[in-house]
Formats: sequence, C-alpha cells, structure tokens
Amino acid sequence: MRWRLPLVWLSLLLALVLGMEQLEWLFRWIESGSREVIYRRADFLTLLGRHALVVIVASSLAVVIGVGAAILVTRPAGRDFLPLVAQVASMGQTFPPVAVLALAVPVLGFGTLPIIVALLLYGLLPIVRNTLAGLQGIEASVREAAVGMGMSRYQVLRQVELPLAAPVILAGIRTSVTINIATAAIGATVGASNLGDPIISGIVNGNTAYILQGALTIGLLAITVDSVFERWQRRH
Amino acid sequence: MRRPNVVLLALMLAALVGWLGLESVNVAANRIVLGTGFRAHQVVGWPGALVSCLPLVTVAILVRRATRVRLCWALVLVVLMLMAMPAWLAIAADRLVDPSLPQSRLGIGPANWLLLFLLLLSLIELRVRLALSRWAAWWLLLPVLAAWWLALAFWLEPLALLREYRGRSDPFQTAILVHLSLVGAAVGISLVVGVLLALAMRRHAGIQRLVFSVLNIVQTMPSLALFGLLLAPLAWLAANVDWIAALGISGIGWAPALLALVGYSLLPMVRNTFVALSEVDAGVIDSARGMGMSHRQVFLQVRLPLALPVMLEGVRITTVQAIGLTAVAALIGAGGLGTFIFQGLGQAAMDLVLLGALPILFLALVADTLLGVLASRLDHRRDAGVPQ
Repeated sequence: MRWRLPLVWLSLLLALVLGMEQLEWLFRWIESGSREVIYRRADFLTLLGRHALVVIVASSLAVVIGVGAAILVTRPAGRDFLPLVAQVASMGQTFPPVAVLALAVPVLGFGTLPIIVALLLYGLLPIVRNTLAGLQGIEASVREAAVGMGMSRYQVLRQVELPLAAPVILAGIRTSVTINIATAAIGATVGASNLGDPIISGIVNGNTAYILQGALTIGLLAITVDSVFERWQRRH
Repeated sequence: MRRPNVVLLALMLAALVGWLGLESVNVAANRIVLGTGFRAHQVVGWPGALVSCLPLVTVAILVRRATRVRLCWALVLVVLMLMAMPAWLAIAADRLVDPSLPQSRLGIGPANWLLLFLLLLSLIELRVRLALSRWAAWWLLLPVLAAWWLALAFWLEPLALLREYRGRSDPFQTAILVHLSLVGAAVGISLVVGVLLALAMRRHAGIQRLVFSVLNIVQTMPSLALFGLLLAPLAWLAANVDWIAALGISGIGWAPALLALVGYSLLPMVRNTFVALSEVDAGVIDSARGMGMSHRQVFLQVRLPLALPVMLEGVRITTVQAIGLTAVAALIGAGGLGTFIFQGLGQAAMDLVLLGALPILFLALVADTLLGVLASRLDHRRDAGVPQ
C-alpha cells in the first residue's frame, strides 16, 4: 500500500502511452483543423523507452561517478581536491542545463551520445554537492566511535558514513534525475529521438494535439519518477 | 603550506597536454563547410609553441612549494594567461585566415576551450587557497574581460563568433532585452505573488499544504512539457475571449512563456519567503511587542527586515533558474537568447549556438554573484545588529 501513489502514476503513464489511439476523439476535438491528430512518426512506447533509457544511463553513470568522486575527495588521499570540487559543484548549478546541452553539441556532435554526456556532466553536480554535504555533515565523534569499535576505514564508510548520508545523497539524485528528464526532452532538438519529438514537431507544424501528447507523457513520466523518489526518501 | 599544491600541478599538466595535443583553432572558408584544425605548433611552429607553454610550466614550478607569495605569483600568471588568450587568437587569425576570402572565419578549437576551462578552475582553486572573497575574483576577471573586449573590437574580425554577431547585432540586442524583460517580469510577479501566498500560508495551514503540493508538481514538470501544455488553453482563450486577444496574448509567444516562468519561480520564492518569515526568533518578536509595537510595526520593522536575506536567496535561485528556462521558451516563440541556440542547432551552425549559449551562461553567473553578494551583505548587517 505504501507504493500506491507511484503505482497510480505509473499505470496512468502506461495507460496514456498504450491507449493514445483510443483518445483520438479527444485530440480531434482539440485540434479540429488538422488531418492527423495522433503523432505517428514513432510509437509512444518506443519514445518513452528511449527517453527512459537515456535518463537511466546518464543518471546511473552520474551516481557512480558523483558519489565516487565525493567519497574520494573526503578521504585523506584526495583531500587536496576537496575545496575545488566543492566550489565547482556549487558554482556549476548556476549553469542552465540548456546552455550546457547547447555547448555539448559543438564538441560532441548531434545524436544520442552527446545528450547522454551532457546529462551526465550536468547531473553530476547536485549529486556531488549533496554527497559532500551528507558526508561532511556527520559528526566527527560518530566516526571516532566507529573507529574505536575496531572498524576498518572501509567498514566505517560502508556501515556508518554512507547510511547516515543516504537521505541527503538521495535528495541530490532526485534533483539530478528531475533535471535530466526535462533536459533530455530538449535533446529532441539536437537529434535524439525521445518524448520531446512530438512537442517539437507539434510546435513546428502548429499541431496542438502533438504538443499535448508529448507534454502529457513527459509530465506523467516526471511525476511518476518523482513520486518513487518521494516514497524512497520517506523510508530513510 | 610548504607542501606542493597537487591540484594546481594536475591542472597545469592537463593544460599542457591539451594545449600541445589538441587542435587550437580551426579555419573554415565559410560558415557551412567543416573547418581544418590547427594545433599550436602548426600555428606558430614548434619554437613558438614551446614558448607559449612557458607560463604553464612556470606556474607548475611555482606551486611545488605552496607558500602564499608563490601562490600570489601563480595567480598573476593565470590572469595574464587568460588575458593573452585573445592575443593568441589574433596571432592565429593573422597567420591562418586568408584576407582575400571575406567569408573565411576562425573557430576556437578544443585546446583553447580546455585551456580556458582549466585556467578558470585554477583561478577558483587559487581564490580558495588565498581566501579571497567572491567579489575579489570578479575584480581579477575585469582585466581579462577588458583584454577580450579590446581584441574583439579591433583584432579579431575573422573570429567566427564575431562574424555571427556582426550579421545580427540588432536581433542580438533585442534578444538580450527580451530575455532580461521576461526574467525580470517573471521574478517580479512571482516575488509579489510569492510573498502574498506565504502570508496567506502563515494564517491557514490548509493553504500551506495545498500550495506546496501544487508547486512541487509544477517544479517536477519538464519545462518543455509545461510550455507545451500552456499553448492549448491560451490559444483557446485568445480565440474565444476578446479582451485577452486584445492584450496581445496568444498560444505562442511571451504569454505562455511568462506564465510557465512564474509557475516555476513560485516554488523557490514561496518556500524561502515562508521559511524566512517563520524562522524569525520568537524572542525578538516578543521583545518588539513588549516595546509597544503594533502588529503592523512588528511585521514591517522587525520580521520583514530580519527575513530579508533568506528571501533574497529565493530571489537569487529564482532569477538564475528563470534565465535558463527563458532559453527554452524560445521554442514557443517567446524570443530571447534561446532563439540563437535553436536556430544554430537547426542550421548546424555551432558559432550561432555559442552566440546564444555564452551570454546566457554569463548572465546566470553575473546574476548569481550580484544577488549572492547582496544577500551576504544584508546578512552581515543583521549579524552586526545594525538597524536597517
């Protein structure tokens, strides 16, 4: 029962994606001027899958690299890099994701790969910042007590530091994924095919029905993912 | 402090490898064809390229013992290198661009971008190590900006970025104006509405829950989706309600953009205002009451001034966020700097993309710094107990 809300959103999302054809009357009513009212250049399930895949790949890499980097610079060996990494992680948040995406294209070219790289780079920032905040927020006495109990450095990290920092890290991952879902949609303008496609195509062709189909699906995807995180965070 | 500064050593080493190994500039006959890349030694020959590495090597040697004096010298060198970068581009333009081809242009290559990035990172590192304020870092960038401006105005005519700008200097100025007015209007409206909502929320807990859950959903909605969702109802309103159409509102353009921007801006604004007003020390309020202040006086002279720094933090977050989101609004015809980004992406003209993206980045950084400094000033005054 605790997962009811995320499940409700997920089933709404799937129902919309699978039942788009059944809603034709609705879109026909909204966009009475056009002959075609359902976006058919690609199947909505495929678009949703591609969108999710890009976000999942970029976000998982960002979590591994981001949490890894934050752990590294809080250990004695990497401590020299801590101030710089912390500064960049907080300053980088000022950069608008669209600008980062736009700057990635000249360097990496068009297509899906540059989007994944751009999302990965941008998604790192909130994760690094929150992991640092989480690890640094642990009181020294807690760490000392763990060491006093005979734990090794690795054990302290695994069994004490990471569990204590988990809620803050999770909040960072949530921010990162939310931004990634939104930015991936804009990626449709640089040649990646995903849920942004119907919106862009609708804007270009002046077809409101296309825009609505894309916007509703992305919106539901974003809300579903966010409600999962919401649920998850409450458990910590 | 006698230990070497490993960070700067690593940065300088990476800069050195990138500078010699990657293409420094590229030259194209016009804006469509792919340019040919030139590495540093192909621009000025090996002796020149090695000389150009000297400042990097010097910094690396300086930071092997990280005393304050040595770090200061490293800072001077880093700033000088940033100032020398446009001069390098001017030299490259002079040597590589054929003046008889009026369309030929010089593009900034990956080596230069990497160097710029690493030098800025070094600047941040040095600023932290020397404990300079954020303000001071901007003063350090002033000569750098002056050098770039001089070079752009007089010596860098063939630079591709500049050619793109020359072709559309009027639309560019309009775009900046539109961008700033959209951001200004969104932040202004959401400030007023946000404060009113926060005040209402302090009275009724029910409103608080409702407002936060609605705004949270809006915040998770991807910008492109929200802009899209607003198109339909606004188009319908404009078609069916006369006075709305008379206001110039339609499905595309500034109206849905502004509405969506306000929607996104409300959450940080309401949250910060609400928290700021709620967290004023109860003891301070009590003593103000005890001094015989009326409700209105307590609010205007005690609670509001004390809450101001946190509210300003909300304005900062909102402004920076709105500057980025306005770029997306270009897709629904709202104008602004995003227009160049999406035009450039459509035409595969990367310098046009840069013409849109770089000013957006710059605006975001400037807004962030200015509002951040303002907030910390107010905070200091509060800590010092100076009445405002």
